[in-house]
Amino acid sequence: MLEWALHYIDLIEESRKERSDQEPPELSEDEKENLIAEFHPDHSASDRPVQIGANAGGTPIPQELADLLEADSLLPKHFKPATDIETDVLIIGGGGAGASAALELQASGLQVLLATKLRLGDANTVMAEGGIQAAISSEDSPRRHFADAYVGGHGDNRVDLLKQLCEAGPETIQWLMSLGCQFDRNPDGSFRQRSGGGTSTPRVMACRDITGLEIMRVLREAVRQSGTPLLENHSAIELLDNGEGQVTGAVFWNRKDNKLVSVSARAVLLATGGSGQLRLQGFPTSNHFGATGDGLILAYRQGCKLDHVDTFQFHPSGTSFPEALAGQLVTEAIRSIGAQILNAEGKRFIDELTYRDVVASAIIKEVVEGRGIKTPSGRYGVWLDTPVIEMKQGPGTLKNQFPGLVHRFGRYGIDPTVHPILVYPTLHYQNGGVEIDLQGRTTIKGLWAAGEVSGGVHGRNRLMGNSLLDILVYGRKAAQSIQNQLPERAALGLSALESFRAERDRLGLSGNQSPQLFPVAAQVKVNLEEMVADDSSSTTETSPQSASTAFEPRDPFA
Amino acid sequence: MQTTRINLNVAGQTIQAKEGETIIHALWAAGMADAVSTGCAGGVCGACTVTVRYADGKPGGTELACLCPVEEGMEVFPYPVDSIASGNPESSPDVVKLQTAFPTLNRCTKCGSCTAACPMQIPVMDSVLRMQVGKFDEVSEDFTTCIHCGLCRAVCEDRVKPHNMGMWVRRSLGMGASIEMIEKTEEEIKRSKSEWAYLLSEDAEERLKRAKEFRVKGFV
Repeated sequence: MLEWALHYIDLIEESRKERSDQEPPELSEDEKENLIAEFHPDHSASDRPVQIGANAGGTPIPQELADLLEADSLLPKHFKPATDIETDVLIIGGGGAGASAALELQASGLQVLLATKLRLGDANTVMAEGGIQAAISSEDSPRRHFADAYVGGHGDNRVDLLKQLCEAGPETIQWLMSLGCQFDRNPDGSFRQRSGGGTSTPRVMACRDITGLEIMRVLREAVRQSGTPLLENHSAIELLDNGEGQVTGAVFWNRKDNKLVSVSARAVLLATGGSGQLRLQGFPTSNHFGATGDGLILAYRQGCKLDHVDTFQFHPSGTSFPEALAGQLVTEAIRSIGAQILNAEGKRFIDELTYRDVVASAIIKEVVEGRGIKTPSGRYGVWLDTPVIEMKQGPGTLKNQFPGLVHRFGRYGIDPTVHPILVYPTLHYQNGGVEIDLQGRTTIKGLWAAGEVSGGVHGRNRLMGNSLLDILVYGRKAAQSIQNQLPERAALGLSALESFRAERDRLGLSGNQSPQLFPVAAQVKVNLEEMVADDSSSTTETSPQSASTAFEPRDPFA
Repeated sequence: MQTTRINLNVAGQTIQAKEGETIIHALWAAGMADAVSTGCAGGVCGACTVTVRYADGKPGGTELACLCPVEEGMEVFPYPVDSIASGNPESSPDVVKLQTAFPTLNRCTKCGSCTAACPMQIPVMDSVLRMQVGKFDEVSEDFTTCIHCGLCRAVCEDRVKPHNMGMWVRRSLGMGASIEMIEKTEEEIKRSKSEWAYLLSEDAEERLKRAKEFRVKGFV
């Protein structure tokens, strides 16, 4: 498999012993800032201001996102919503934020419906590898956690949101444990905490290199057992409102049955996640199949402001080879325990544990300046020397602590204990998103947002392990806020969309439709026109009875 | 480099793919994304379960379409598995409690289908035998990388639910753990207040400067 790269690998093997104990190259703060300004994709000058909506004429944002924000709705013009399903709380999104909100609402007595584009748990959460941050050691504190994340975010974080996030860390871990999540321990039985890029003290708790899988499978189980009704394979197409600035529900496209479904709700929680599948500037992504930023589009049409959407995280170590794994994540935790990054000359060029945006920029610089490695498929990358870990920490370390990595590469005949891995930055995380307050409320009545779809808490660069914490903390906060401030049910309409369309016409905008729903490469056809007969007010053939009663929970023993 | 084209058959339709790509990406390129359910496309969500048969007669079987590279003449059959809940975990789990939650525990006939079906190379059948005798720590370790695709359950003739039991065991063991919460003594509350006051300076530039200092020292 790696025959084409043997001369590089020889070079790496020769220098491994000598390198293994060396300190990484140090850069000054100015050098780091310059590296970012010159090489980080956020600064590639391919951004433009969006022309419509709450962010109109503001900070330039990636053009791929601007195009989608300006695009027309997928809903046919003559579509009129009529209640097919009624619920108190509608959660849109089946990842960690949506699931933890559903669990928090379990004992509220409210009727909760969780709708998701794929299946419950098919989300970026399940793909998270390295861990979750929480200040639980005696040398640590939520203040120190805050300071690390604030410096990592270049001081551009929403201070109130970040303070609340860090303070909620220990209690959140406790909550996960009460649900049955297992975290790695040291031989003495204490919980193992690793360093991540930019942590000043070891703070990252993990379950091997599959922390997101451990958390998501436990949350998914708990949600299934809670009896919360689910609408799986339902893509949110548009939010509904009452014409007086209150969100009152949403329209979904049931992909399996090819029908439109309107849900009336007293509160809507957007937990739709990120947008890596937009593949900004042609970058590959570590994100799941459905990460197309749909929540941003839906909230924006309701008048929500988007915060920090000019900044995205490119994870330094996305896979470059083999081609089948292109873009997939190689966890930062592997650098925490000593993996080194090397250029084509077999030399280290960056401190592997500095901030993600700095490491990613440094890798791009090496490639731009001709010190990268080209794969047979034409991708570029630099080496991540994983065998050095076995040399330093003893044989078996990788298999034991990184079973996911060893398994994935093993499928392609690459053994990370023997051979280095080729990596290049991959589009990983949406730093910005819908503006929220401390309770997860958006600026629009009836609409809450939590997790990656919201923005501001991580500033311009998120630290490892802070998004798993974010989705849980803010998923639960939003659920509590919804319980305490549930608006009365109100009419279903599309007046926000109608104003948006009128504004589009005024500005002469044309072009595509959004939300995108799936990766462009997947070529999923979405045509809702034929689904709506001209004279019908409701889109589904639901009887009055089923339209007004609660949704049946699925049989847990089926 | 010249890319080799490969012919394969998915759900009865012949499509062309590039050498080195996975079944999922081949389906996308062929406009057949809906043929196989997809979640993460990264090997951890378990949505894209399929069975494959190879033209050259080498053993096929169950696979994740997102991790399985295409091969000339390969036949792919979608094999979706419904997700089900695993039953409420119990503190201090034992074999009796497991058997109560999963009455089919002892019906295992040791055919080994589950182990053969597992795309994560978990020793599923051996682990079921360990469940029967209450070796739960080992079971918990066995199922560490389980993605709950459900294939081990789907192929079981005797309605044993290995991955659900694995989840039950892991959660039941995990529930007993807790961290030491920092005690909210008067001194701690005071320290917390003064450190936040220091960190949350009104002036943005000063705030960043203070955060930089604080993260190194850990205190004011």
